[in-house]
Formats: sequence, C-alpha cells, structure tokens
Amino acid sequence: MDLNLTSEQSLLREAAAKFGAAAGPKVARGWRGREPGFAPARLRQAGELGWLGILVPDAADGSGLGLTELALVLEQAGRGLACEPLGLAAVAAAALAQGHAPHPMLQRAMRGEALVVPALQESTHADDPLALRTRATGDRAPRLTGTKVSVCAGGADGFLVSAGSADGAELYYVSRDALGVHLKTASTVEGRSLATLKLKDTPADLVPPRQSSRSAVEALTDLCLIAVSAELLGVMAGAQELTFEYLRIRKQFGKPIGSFQALQHKAVDIYIKIETTRSLLYQVAAANDPYRIDPAQAVAVKAKASEDALSVTQACIQLHGAIGFTDEHDIGLYLKRALLLSSLFGNAAAQRRRYADIAELTM
Amino acid sequence: MFHHDSPEEAAFRTEVRTWLEANLPATLRGRTNRPPPAELMPWYRMLSRKGWIAPHWPKEHGGMGASLNEQIVMTEELARVGAPQLPAQGLNHIGPILIEFGTEAQKAKHLPPIIAGDVIWAQGYSEPGAGSDLASLATRATLDGDRFVVGGQKIWTTWGHHSDWMFALARTDPQAQPRQAGISFLLLDLHSPGVRVRPIRTIAGDDEFAEVFFDDVAVPAQNLVGKLNDGWRIANALLGHERLGTSNPQFALIALERIKTMARASGVMADPAFRDRLAAASINVTALLALFNHAVELTNRQRGLGPDSSIIKIFGSELLQSLNDLLIEAAGSEASMENPVPTAFGAVDVSTSFLQVRRATIYGGSSEIQRNIIARRVLNLPQ
Ligand SMILES: Cc1cc2nc3c(=O)[nH]c(=O)nc-3n(C[C@H](O)[C@H](O)[C@H](O)COP(=O)(O)OP(=O)(O)OC[C@H]3O[C@@H](n4cnc5c(N)ncnc54)[C@H](O)[C@@H]3O)c2cc1C
Repeated sequence: MDLNLTSEQSLLREAAAKFGAAAGPKVARGWRGREPGFAPARLRQAGELGWLGILVPDAADGSGLGLTELALVLEQAGRGLACEPLGLAAVAAAALAQGHAPHPMLQRAMRGEALVVPALQESTHADDPLALRTRATGDRAPRLTGTKVSVCAGGADGFLVSAGSADGAELYYVSRDALGVHLKTASTVEGRSLATLKLKDTPADLVPPRQSSRSAVEALTDLCLIAVSAELLGVMAGAQELTFEYLRIRKQFGKPIGSFQALQHKAVDIYIKIETTRSLLYQVAAANDPYRIDPAQAVAVKAKASEDALSVTQACIQLHGAIGFTDEHDIGLYLKRALLLSSLFGNAAAQRRRYADIAELTM
Repeated sequence: MFHHDSPEEAAFRTEVRTWLEANLPATLRGRTNRPPPAELMPWYRMLSRKGWIAPHWPKEHGGMGASLNEQIVMTEELARVGAPQLPAQGLNHIGPILIEFGTEAQKAKHLPPIIAGDVIWAQGYSEPGAGSDLASLATRATLDGDRFVVGGQKIWTTWGHHSDWMFALARTDPQAQPRQAGISFLLLDLHSPGVRVRPIRTIAGDDEFAEVFFDDVAVPAQNLVGKLNDGWRIANALLGHERLGTSNPQFALIALERIKTMARASGVMADPAFRDRLAAASINVTALLALFNHAVELTNRQRGLGPDSSIIKIFGSELLQSLNDLLIEAAGSEASMENPVPTAFGAVDVSTSFLQVRRATIYGGSSEIQRNIIARRVLNLPQ
C-alpha cells in the first residue's frame, strides 16, 4: 500500500533507495567479520546527504525533519542491507543536540566523521530502560561505573550511556578513549560484532534532555526502537522482493512454484505482515515528536517489527528450498540481519512485557 | 515416558548409560553441527565394536536385532548424553534398502563396511532441476555392455565430499511415461574417474552438503539395485523410515534442554508468559514422543507407515523450529552471537542451532510436499 508522501519525502526515499542499492547483499557479505564492518566513507556520505542530522533541529545545523523522514531513509538502508549504522548514528546525533548547548561531538557525528552509538542495555532482555545499575557520581564532573551489553560498538568513537544518578536516570556521553573504558567484542552470525562495555569510574559528560521530553534516556530509547524497526521493515521488504522473484522463476512440476496455491498463501501472509508493520511504523512516525515519542507506541512498533521480520525471513528461506539453506545464496543474509536487529534493545517478547506494563491494557 | 522398563530393559538401560558416560568423548557431546569425519568416525567405530551401531538391523547382518523397546532405550540414552548425529545414509537408508532389495553379492560387499564404519555413503537423489519434483531428474545412466555410463549432476548431497559411495537415482529410459518408470537405482563408487565433488557451505557456516558432477562415469552393471527402471519404487519403499529418522525426538529433547538452560541464565524463566510458551512447547515434545513411539510400533508390525509418516515429519520438523524460536527468545540480545553463549549453567549454542533447523522443513520432502501427500493420499481430498 502506498504511503501518502510529500514530494520532498518521495525524493528523500528515492535518494535513500539509491544509497541502499549501492550496498546490497554482495557488499554486505564482503563486510562480514571485518572491524568496523562498514565503509566509513559511506557513513560520511550519509552525513553529507543530511541523514545523520535528519532529526537535529535547524538551530543546531541539522535537517530538522521528523520521524517519517528518518523511517524513510532507514527502511531503504535496511532493504539494501547497508552495513553503515545510519540509524544508530542518526538517533545518537539527535540526542547530542538536545541540550541548550549541543554537545561538542554533535558536528562531527552529524557529518559522519565520528560515530557515536547508544549503549543503553544492561541485560539481554532490556526490560525497563530507566531501572539502571550503572551509576553516575559527581555533579560537576560525572563519573560512570557499570556494564552495558549488546552495544554495536564497531567503529564507534563514543557512546551515549544511560546511568542512574541522584536525580534519576540520565544520559551521558563517554568517549571510546576515556579512562576506565573496557570493550569486549564478540562476533555475531550476521557478520558484525556486539560488545560488552565496562565502565569503571569513567569520566563522562551529562547530555541533558530537550525541554519537551520527559527524560533524555527515554527519548533515546524510543528513538532506537523506531530506528531499528524501520531497518527491520526494510530487511523484510528486501527479503520479500528476492523471494517473490524466485517464486516466478523457479520451476518444479513443469510450473513456476509461485503458481502453487500453498505458496501463494504463504506469499500473501508475508505481504500482510510487511504492510501492517509499515502502516504501524509510519502512523506512529507521523503522530510523534522525535523527542517525545509515546513509549507504548515505540514499544509496539519494535515488538511487531521484530516478530514479523523473523517470521518473514524464515518463511523466505522455506520458499527457496535447499538453496535458501546455503551460505552462497543471499536470502540467508536477510534472516541473519533480522535475527540481529530483532534482538537489539529488547526482542519482541521483551517489548510485549513492557507493553503490558505501560500501555494500560487493564484499564 | 509412556513405557516402564521391564527388568531386562532396565538392566539394558543401565548398561547403555554407564557405557556411554564412560566412553563418549566430552568434545563430542551437545554439538549442534555434525562433527567432521576425523572427529566423528572414531566414535562411530567404537559404537560398532561394542555391537551397538545398528540397533534396528537384523543380527545376521551385524545389527543388534534389538526389540522396539530396546531401540527406544538406545535413542533416549543417546539423547541424554548429547551424543552427536551419526552419518545416517548407510545405517538408515542404503543398509535397509540392500537388506530388502539387494543381491547376496551386494549385501556381502556393502553391509559389513557400513557396520564397521569403514565406508561412508551419500544419497544422490536431488538435482538442480529436480528437488520437490524428484521424478524430473535428468542424470542419465546408459547401459553399455556390462556397465552403465553415468552423466549429470546431483546437488545438496549430505556429506558428499566425505563419502566413498553414493546410492543414486538415474534416468535409464528417457522415453518412459510416466517419468517415474524410467528411473533406476544405482550404487556408485565416488572414487571413480569422472566424479567431481564440490562442498557447499550452509547458512550455519559448516560444509554439511555438496554437489557432485558425473562426467561419463563407468558403473558396473552389477551395481544396479533391483530391476532396470524399477528405481522409483525402491527409493520410495523406505521413505517412511527416512521420515521417522529425521523426526527422531532426540533433537527436540536436546532443544528443550537448551531453552531451559538459556531461560534460567537470562532470567526469562521468571516471566509467566514465557513459562506458558515453554509449557506448550514441552507438551508438544511429549506428543512427538508419543507419535514417534506409536509410529515405530506400527512400522515394526507392518513394515512402513505409508503416507501417515508425513504427519510425524511435519510435526517433528515444525516443532523443532518453534523450539528454536523459543530458544532465541530466551537468549534475548545474545540470539545472534556466533559462538555458544556462556552462561552460569554451561555454554548454549543458540544461533547455530536456530540456523541449522531451517533445513528440517526442507529436506526429506518439504513441509509443503508432505501436506500435499496427506491431503491427497490420507484424506483423499478431491484434486
Ligand atoms: C540440509 C539438506 C540436506 C539435504 N541432503 C540431501 C541428500 O543427502 N541427498 C539428496 O538427494 N537431497 C538432499 N537434500 C535435498 C532435498 O531433498 C531438497 O531440498 C528437497 O527435496 C526440496 O527441493 P528443492 O530444494 O529443490 O526445493 P524446490 O523443490 O525448488 O522447492 C522450493 C519451494 O517450493 C515448494 N514447493 C515445491 N513444489 C511444491 C508444490 N507442488 N506445492 C507446494 N509447494 C511446493 C517447496 O516446498 C519449497 O518451499 C538436502 C536438503 C537439505 C536442505
């Protein structure tokens, strides 16, 4: 189903589609197991195109656009299996721009010259983003101690870390090179690595919330959920294209396999999952201010995108038969990307747990 | 679970358990990927020397001639220690086929090395153009005096690059109608001139299968199993066995243990919604055990389940996949880690297991094909 886009938004989507297509599965394959697993030049290119500062207000030299534009870009990046962490970089830039005076890293982060990524999760199930064990001490010169898990730290120059202070959950910027930073990375089947970030009495800068938002940690958490969901939507869409093409060309029993009703119904179920996720994502994007997203809506989008992306990409493998089970075929790359992204910042089940708590289901 | 051991069975169980605990190398326990031959075959030969490699084969051919209950005891105990999957093509496929259809010379030549673990077999049915539609296979075998000349290609051949012999379906009568009537069943020495094998890497990162090319490969005419052009019947005669083999509850039981370990470690075991899903999965594993026992019982009595064997293939393979969905749910943001996830209760292989089980609904006849079989041949629904 077509989105109702302005002409500027359509142009943006076209440009992002080009950027995504210039990546594609072949390129994604080439980055597997490398560190960092993406092209820094392409991250800078995204910066020049204004996509990393897409949410950053005009006053801070950003593009000053909204969640719809962010989602349009990230959907295309996901569809092309782009390896550059555009989504995390863009939401981190938005966070760095929040205070009265933007953080000094903002300009470089927006241009893609430095990579700042969120480091929010403390458990593999990411249950409550505000219940934090990482502690911040010292008012003027804060220092952090604690552990963050599943951080997309590849190529990162700095992190946006959530921590509990005397005033509750706050967001801090920590440089990769700061004292007491210890990173332990391990590879994923998707090709990039995830890291455990240990901080011990590490100097950090407080990143204050924007006036309109409830809390900087909550704002960044919800942005992460939306960004990853948009990429997941694109991953599903890319897998769908590849698979529907295969249904047309692969012949068995003298006919294209797409002519078998059992497979047509499977294809339709895939299509419905993608279209419903797309509607939900873009309705939520249009209805929310980037700095004050309704958390229940963000959680709902991530829950649905995570669940659907896994089931869609699994079904796509099945529709390919044995060739889908090979490493050589590209369809597996979509499943692995979906496995990684759906698990980050809380998987579908973790989102549903949170949703049950915050969405006032029993009212 | 549905059966209480008789005193003899209980004694057998104790004997098996004690021996497995003492003899199965730790490095082979709980593996998700099938270990390569250099690691696996010594274990195979050890089981063989113990006399336990082929519980379901008759004693005269070197099997255990075990009763149904003894076979189940064996399966359960192998699962319990986390024994690795053995290469099955010899033990479960060509062995039983030769016992049923082979000449005395074929039995004498091929059965002992399977029992001993000296020869590894591959199944050469699928081709690039003939997957679900196996009858469209194009590999040709032309009779020329006392030999066949074989040309063509097989693909997705499990352990093709580790195998010494292949049992293959080849077209011996290109004109025959229906196409099934022009296919023969051949035994093919993979070390013959003109055979070329290329391993294929799977989505889970291992070289589990291969493609095999035949360029005018000479196969002695005495390597024909059954009659000329009767290969389709022979290949299908024991399909029920294959479906049973691939749905062995051993895999589901192992998956269930993985989930529990991961859920305890990550804390989701405390979530009532998760426990509900775990309970549902666990009940389905129990149902699979029941179905499997039932199927083995019927198979032993009347030789073959017929098209009903598709039920167990679908139920077993799809259950295995839903168990792995639960496993990645339990692992949270560690679901995609390449290496086993270290926990306080031991390392748990998550992503490899999840990727591996994609195959269960594809090989041995896909879920879609099994559903077609049930709809047509069991339910007799109109075409
Ligand atoms: C791990 C693994 C190991 C294997 N090992 C061996 C081996 O050792 N030896 C061997 O010979 N083969 C082996 N195979 C091959 C296996 O038997 C085939 O993959 C299987 O028969 C399906 O064929 P295909 O892969 O060509 O898929 P296709 O037949 O092309 O099917 C593609 C999709 O179309 C669906 N489809 C096809 N026809 C219909 C229909 N009429 N109605 C509805 N849906 C349909 C299928 O279900 C599937 O989803 C192995 C496969 C795997 C994955």
